[in-house]
Amino acid sequence: MTDTKIPVHLEINGRHHDLQIEPRVTLLDALRDRLGLTGTKKGCDHGQCGACTVHVDGERVLACLTLAAQAEGRAITTIEGLAREGELHPVQAAFLEQDAFQCGYCTPGQIMSAVACIREGHAGSDEEIREYMAGNLCRCGAYPHIVAAVRQAALEAAQ
Amino acid sequence: MTVHTRHGDASDGVLAEAVGGRLSRVDGPAKITGAARYAVEQQLEGLLYGALVESTIAAGKVRAIDVTQAEAAPGVVKVLTPDTIMSLRTASDWFGTPPPDKPYCPLARDITFSGQHVAAVIAGTFEQAVAAAALVKVSYDETPAIVDLSDGKAGDGIPIDAMTKEWGDAASAFASAPVRICAAYNTPREYQAPMEPHGLIAHWQGDHLTVWEPSQWLDGMARTYAEWFEVPFENVRLVSPYIGGGFGSKALALSHGAVAAGAARMLGRPVRLVMTRPQTFTGYGGRAATRQTVTIGAGHDGVIQSIVHRGVNETSIDGMWVEPLGSVTSIMYATPNFSSKQNVVRVNSVVPGAMRAPGENPSAFGIESAIDELAYEVGIDPLEIRLRNYAEQDPHAKKAWSTRQLREAFAAGAERFGWARRTPQPRSMRDGNHLIGWGVAAGTYPVRRAYGEARVRILADGSVEVESSSIDMGQGTYTILAQTAAETVGVSADDVVVKLGDSRFPRAGVTGGSRLAGVMTGAVYKAATSALDQLVGLAISDPRSPFHALQANTLVVANGRIASPRGEGPDVSIAELLKSVGRDQIEATGDTMPANSTAEDRYKNYTTIAMSLPHTEGDYSRHSWCAHFVEVRVDEDFGTVRVSRVVSALDSGRLYNPKLAESQWKGGIIMGIGQALLEEGIVDRRHGRIVNDNLADYLVPTNADIPDIEVISVGIPDLHSSALGGKGVGELAIVGIAPAIANAVFHATGKRVRDLPITLEKLI
Repeated sequence: MTDTKIPVHLEINGRHHDLQIEPRVTLLDALRDRLGLTGTKKGCDHGQCGACTVHVDGERVLACLTLAAQAEGRAITTIEGLAREGELHPVQAAFLEQDAFQCGYCTPGQIMSAVACIREGHAGSDEEIREYMAGNLCRCGAYPHIVAAVRQAALEAAQ
Repeated sequence: MTVHTRHGDASDGVLAEAVGGRLSRVDGPAKITGAARYAVEQQLEGLLYGALVESTIAAGKVRAIDVTQAEAAPGVVKVLTPDTIMSLRTASDWFGTPPPDKPYCPLARDITFSGQHVAAVIAGTFEQAVAAAALVKVSYDETPAIVDLSDGKAGDGIPIDAMTKEWGDAASAFASAPVRICAAYNTPREYQAPMEPHGLIAHWQGDHLTVWEPSQWLDGMARTYAEWFEVPFENVRLVSPYIGGGFGSKALALSHGAVAAGAARMLGRPVRLVMTRPQTFTGYGGRAATRQTVTIGAGHDGVIQSIVHRGVNETSIDGMWVEPLGSVTSIMYATPNFSSKQNVVRVNSVVPGAMRAPGENPSAFGIESAIDELAYEVGIDPLEIRLRNYAEQDPHAKKAWSTRQLREAFAAGAERFGWARRTPQPRSMRDGNHLIGWGVAAGTYPVRRAYGEARVRILADGSVEVESSSIDMGQGTYTILAQTAAETVGVSADDVVVKLGDSRFPRAGVTGGSRLAGVMTGAVYKAATSALDQLVGLAISDPRSPFHALQANTLVVANGRIASPRGEGPDVSIAELLKSVGRDQIEATGDTMPANSTAEDRYKNYTTIAMSLPHTEGDYSRHSWCAHFVEVRVDEDFGTVRVSRVVSALDSGRLYNPKLAESQWKGGIIMGIGQALLEEGIVDRRHGRIVNDNLADYLVPTNADIPDIEVISVGIPDLHSSALGGKGVGELAIVGIAPAIANAVFHATGKRVRDLPITLEKLI
């Protein structure tokens, strides 16, 4: 048992943050409890629900299964960093238009997954979208509307 | 791209912003950008973090708790045990029943279920609290537990006389019926599993407590906290701006809340305590496991002559939960003879609780499976037999339906689904290796009514503000109340700000039983009408008003502007009028309580469920209705079931916002697919413990499990049910999905599964 703290430098949404934290602190708890970036959600803390999905160097990762220290020196994007200059990201706009959420708690993770899903080239059909979005649980049951939103945003991105 | 449907989509003849329009969620932008701050996400100075320690036995006593190592761990401020946590008073229940005058300890010495809170660690960081909680050593004197309904020690349980419903002579009518069927239907423990775990931040300032906690009922929970800590109700403030899903599980203050608030009081610092995901399976109750037998006596023409129904649900050792299993059985079909009775059985589990359509959901699994069995017994189409037994009035209450668009639902759903193309024999439809099955079932949910209160302000800039202590957990309260206020006052919905989720606002009862939309649109309509009347009154009568000289009897407010109905005279904005008469705002508080209500009546109405109005009050019986049509594909070799198509036609009366109502309906259908095929709390029979207490092992539907779903609204305005004509939305659609799927699986395979969930080993 130790209370040793280490310096961790994180680049989140293009901004630099210096933290002094225990090595066991996850990226998720660093975001939520240390930096006030609460848009990234904690649903299970065990990599089972996808609510904490963020991008690290452009790839979707589960922030609850990533130590903050592991993300040092890598570019982290959270839901707060997706909209540019006040303009919603096309995936965010599609989620609103398609009503792809209800309670909103899984939504940041869904949107981060959806952005990556389209970027990965895994939004070619509804079947493919369902499969590649299956790691993000939504208990309100917005799935058909999530598929519609991802399909819409993917088509826009292709144009 | 259009982000906000501002002035368009008049596809159904209604402006998006008006009541009945398809306005996008007004709280949507906050939720999709991460700006929406949920309850436990408040950032407070000096915040401490709590972690719970739970019992590892299901029955017995705590012999000792060794906190030595935990207390010595870094960052630990306090380890709380039953001996060291402050004493609280027992609080009243949700009916407001006066509690026994005895202390309440939220940490248990006597263990009645596995997962009961026995200790808690409070530390400087979340990590320190979690690590130290693992160092708390609890020893027990264990006694044998009753692990579930099938335990030999469980017995037949306790008869619940209030559940008995009988008319005619059901037993002899059944005995003499030409066709008789009898079957037993089981549902397992199921869990609400909202994506946001339960938790809170408790913060005391003197004798005033602020609780940031996801809540379906701010005023009810504030009452409980006030009673636990013996402070006035007004001293407790609940704040719950967004709720990450509830499904019935976030309506009551729970023992972990008492632990956190007690710790905060003892330590003089704010405390955050959030359940781990496994703790959410035992920290409060899911849907009780149920057993039903349904016997139906009928003629060869399929016309029902008698229904005899017996039900059992589990409850805890020291709590009482009744899941009303005869609720759909007693009203869905016309029958001259009927008998329904129910027992509850005590087992060593947390007391079960409300989960989406408690009662109606398992009840429908019984009767809607049984009527399908009868259809095959007499050789009549499953849709036709439902129409032959159509209840033209409430068979139990013997009252007219307020509205019942169920026949229309069957017709619309069957047409869209293509039911006429169904071949009746099981195993008669196939696509390669897939057996295809088509099933139908109906659902219903009562219209629960209560009273609500709201404040509406017209501000100096012409915008409108609505305040209510009701909540939005995704049903769309923010949006439909904005639409109601906008339409009533005569402004754009963009110019309405709705503030919810703070118990300082005008009061609201529980958000449960699909009642909130009907209650709160009524309250906001009343308050907004009163504010509008004041505004027009000022415009007509104030000597400084530009309309004063007009000597008009009335004025029209539309699009934020005031004018005479005939278009003569001035045309000014609300802001200009308020400026001219020297007012900075107009405020009206409206409630829908009876006029002679006392302060005590109001307190009782908003903090208990004792004043809810019966759905059969007066001359009518009020319910929502639906018909589900489902296609399944069953792999012949592996027995895997996939739902490949769903068409549901639903009667929720008038929809305040069809876009959002459709989302709730689909959500209910999807949760029903999970119930039918995936969801089951599995008990370790050695230890009476739920073993799949996480989201990897307790399977909820994923995106890949869900096909396209089509929902059709067949409702008509029902003014017996609510001020603006709506009936319940949120709970309706889950009712009947599981039997529709079970019926489809029977059609596909010839195997009748009467025991949910329908997993592959039951089919091969």
